[in-house]
Order: sequence, then C-alpha cells, then structure tokens
Amino acid sequence: MDSDSINNASSTSVHNGKDFSRKKRRSAKLKQCKLDARREQWLSQSVVKNKVCCKAGTNGGDSKRTPRGERDSSLENLEMRRRGEANGGGENGSVQHESDSESLPSNSPTSSLLLGGTGSGTSFTNSSSGSTSSGGCCSGSITEEEGDDGCLDDWEAVADALAADDDKQEMERNENYRENLCSGSTPEHEPNPQLGLNGARSDLRNSKPECQRTVQMATGTSRAWRVDDAFRPQTLPNLSKQRSFPATDRHFGQGGVSWVRSSAFSPPSSCPICCEDLDFTDSSFLPCLCGFRLCLFCHKRILEDDGRCPGCRKAYEHDPMEAEASIQGGSMTFRLARSCSMIARS
Amino acid sequence: MQASRARLFKEYKEVQREKAADPDIQLVCDDSNIFKWTALIKGPSETPYEGGVFQLAFAVPEQYPLQPPQVRFLTKIFHPNVHFKTGEICLDILKNAWSPAWTLQSVCRAIIALMAHPEPDSPLNCDSGNLLRSGDVRGYQSMARMYTRLAAMPKKRLAARIILITGQSNPV
Repeated sequence: MDSDSINNASSTSVHNGKDFSRKKRRSAKLKQCKLDARREQWLSQSVVKNKVCCKAGTNGGDSKRTPRGERDSSLENLEMRRRGEANGGGENGSVQHESDSESLPSNSPTSSLLLGGTGSGTSFTNSSSGSTSSGGCCSGSITEEEGDDGCLDDWEAVADALAADDDKQEMERNENYRENLCSGSTPEHEPNPQLGLNGARSDLRNSKPECQRTVQMATGTSRAWRVDDAFRPQTLPNLSKQRSFPATDRHFGQGGVSWVRSSAFSPPSSCPICCEDLDFTDSSFLPCLCGFRLCLFCHKRILEDDGRCPGCRKAYEHDPMEAEASIQGGSMTFRLARSCSMIARS
Repeated sequence: MQASRARLFKEYKEVQREKAADPDIQLVCDDSNIFKWTALIKGPSETPYEGGVFQLAFAVPEQYPLQPPQVRFLTKIFHPNVHFKTGEICLDILKNAWSPAWTLQSVCRAIIALMAHPEPDSPLNCDSGNLLRSGDVRGYQSMARMYTRLAAMPKKRLAARIILITGQSNPV
C-alpha cells in the first residue's frame, strides 16, 4: 500500500502540476464568463431588491475567490503535498491519501453532486476508492485521477482512455453550470464554479500539462475556502433547516435534497389549511420564518386575500424574489445536485 | 368550495377522534350539511356561567378556512360581548384576527375564554358592559348567573339547583 501510494502520488503530482497550468488558462476564461453571467444575474435581481443587491455584491467578491479556491477546494493540503512531491519526489504518497480521506467528510454534503457528476462518466472512480462517491466535487475528480493513475502507469494512455468520458462529462458539467446560472445567483455558490471548473479541469487534465504555478495560487487562495469547507458539513443541515426549502423545491426527487430533508425535519403530511396532502414541492416550501407550512395553493390564495401567515398572522413577504435570494444560499448545492442527477440519468 | 369541504371533513374526523379530549366542548356537524355545525360548550368554572351549557351555531362560509365561520349563541347569555337578542359574538378572531390555522374546535375554546374574560370596552350587550365598566362586578355576575340558570341549564338540573339554592342560601 505504501509503495503503491507513493508511486501513484508522485505520478499524479506531476500530471497534476502540468494540468493545472493549462487549466489555469482555460479556467481563467471560464471564470470570466461565469463571473460576467453571474453579475448580470445579480444585477437583475438587485433591481428587485437592494438587499439582494448587497448580497450579490459580497458574493461577487466571493465568486472571484472561490473558483480558484475551489479548484483545490478542500484539497488544499493535498495540493500542497502534491507540489512538494513534484518537486522533491514522492514520499508523501501516504499523506496524500490521508488528506484525501480527510477531505471526504468535509465535502460530504455535496456528495450527491459528485455522485451524479463523476459516477455517470467514469466507472473506475468508484472502483478506485470509495472516496469519490463520498467526496466533494474537487476531491472527487482528483481521486479519480489517482485511481486512474493507479491502474495505468502511462498518463498519456490514461488521458486517451479518459478523453471520451471526460469530454462527455465536461459537456454535461458545463451544461450544469449553465443551468445553475440560469437558476439564479446565490450568496453561497461554491459548488457552482466547482462544477464548471471540474469540467474544465477534467478536460485540461486530458489535454496537456506543464507546470504548477496554478497549484501555488490555488493553495494560497484556497485558505478561505478551506475554512468554509471544514465548517460546511455542520452548517449545511442548519442552513437547509432554516432556509433552503423554497429553493429546494426546484430540484425535487433528488437524493441530496432528501438527505437534507431527513436531517432537517419532517414537514406535516397535509396542508393544515386545505387538508390536501403536501407534495414534495409543498413540503419543501417554507413561506414564513415562523415555520408554518402550507401548500402553495393555499399560500397563493392567502396572498390574494389578506397576505398574512396563518401561523403568526404576520404579513408574508410580498417579494418572492427577496425570499428566494435570501434563501438560496444554503441550497445551492442541492440545485447542483439535481443537475448532476440529471446527468446520471441521461 | 372543495377545499373548505375537505377541511371541514377533516375537522369532523378530528372531532370524532378526540371527543373525549375536551369534555367542555361538544361539536356536532349537521347531518345533511357540513357547513352547518352546532356546538355545546360548558360555562367555564368560577364564572357566572358555570354550570350552564351553551349552544353555539356555526355557519361556515365556502371560503373557509380563509374566511372565519359565523358563530352565534343560540342560548341566551348575559355577556358584554354577546348580543343579547341575536347571540352575535364580538370576538376578534371571528373578525379581523381570524387565521386559517384556526379550527371550529379552537373557535369554541376561544369563546369559552371570552366567557371567562369579558371585554366590556367593546360591548355588544351595553347593559352588561356598562355594569362592568362602572365597576359593578357583582351586578354583572348576578345578572349573568341568573340568565345562565334561566337559559343555559337543563331543566332538571335547574330544578335541582333551585331546590339546593332555596334550601341553603338566598335565591337571587
């Protein structure tokens, strides 16, 4: 195991280094488009509400940072070590594996994305280690590499072998990304660029590699992300508990969402107003902070009527956009998850 | 229409299921019309209405539960917030403070609470309200108790009560 891992590590590190510089170029382009698109969206939303605008502004800063950070997301350590290996040789193989496994729990909330994303394209990811399935996006794609490298010594061969799959994946991911963009901006959109970058990354990985400057950059910037990453698993359920529901109703029928729901709490089975059964959309609909749930139909009727929450008799927020924007943050992951699951199905 | 029917049916089932849960309230649906209900509520203890059983009539609108049900006392009651002739009830949750989350059962509970805590400042029964507002609690209680006996007590019990009263203390 040790020797194996060392070999893998050293080989991957070299390739990774090469990849990343290439990736950097592509991703810069990609990043730019993404940022533009996102800003546009934010702007359009911010027209609706100042509040939203503020959020968007802060996010704008984030988005600049995140794509880079995400590239190595939680795997900061991994990258650093890789760099070290590339420079100094592969002693750190075991460590790398370790960090890999470390990253798993932290990324687990986004696992569903990964499941959808990587699971569809590459079968060896799963076989290489269970980590891909439980890991975050980035860790997933990286372990993917490692797994491949472990199987094949020759990177070029691997690249060829992967080319088809990755192209497909990339397309899909880009699609996802586009979809995500369409579906709206969010305060917390780490996974968003992740996906896009993943696409880019897998693509670049296959094409051609050179040096490791990107890796350095990534390690530098990824600190902020890493903090995020480390504390995400704990916060995500909370977030979803409080606010992710309105957004999650867009991606019903998805594993990731159901995970959130089970971890959060179970909504009533029927609407207290009309006594009709709540479908998934309804039960993931949280119109008022007081927690009073009702079906969308009744909600609409109440809005047309006096517009007050039956639970607390406070007026509902009239601007659904505002509510959405304030809520989307926690649920971004799940939207992504949905799109990934679509891939998995297709 | 459909929603209110479904909702009322659910409430009906709920009432059947929890009949024993609240012995002070007996909520009965009209046999032929689910929009017509009657309720029998017991006068709360330590009030002049104690020992009385009051009948309420519910007329549920088709917009229910977005619109509150119309409730009135069928039994005569001397209460500042109940119209003495029509039995109309002045209660905020039956007007502007209505919430669709309320049920007929909870309306009954609210009415019982109103009986225990009259609001003389928004009276429908001016005589009663004036008594309370002028501080004549005893006068109000006497009147209310009298009407409770006259109107809200089953005849048999009333007779027994009268015997009891005449035997032990001064009649009203």
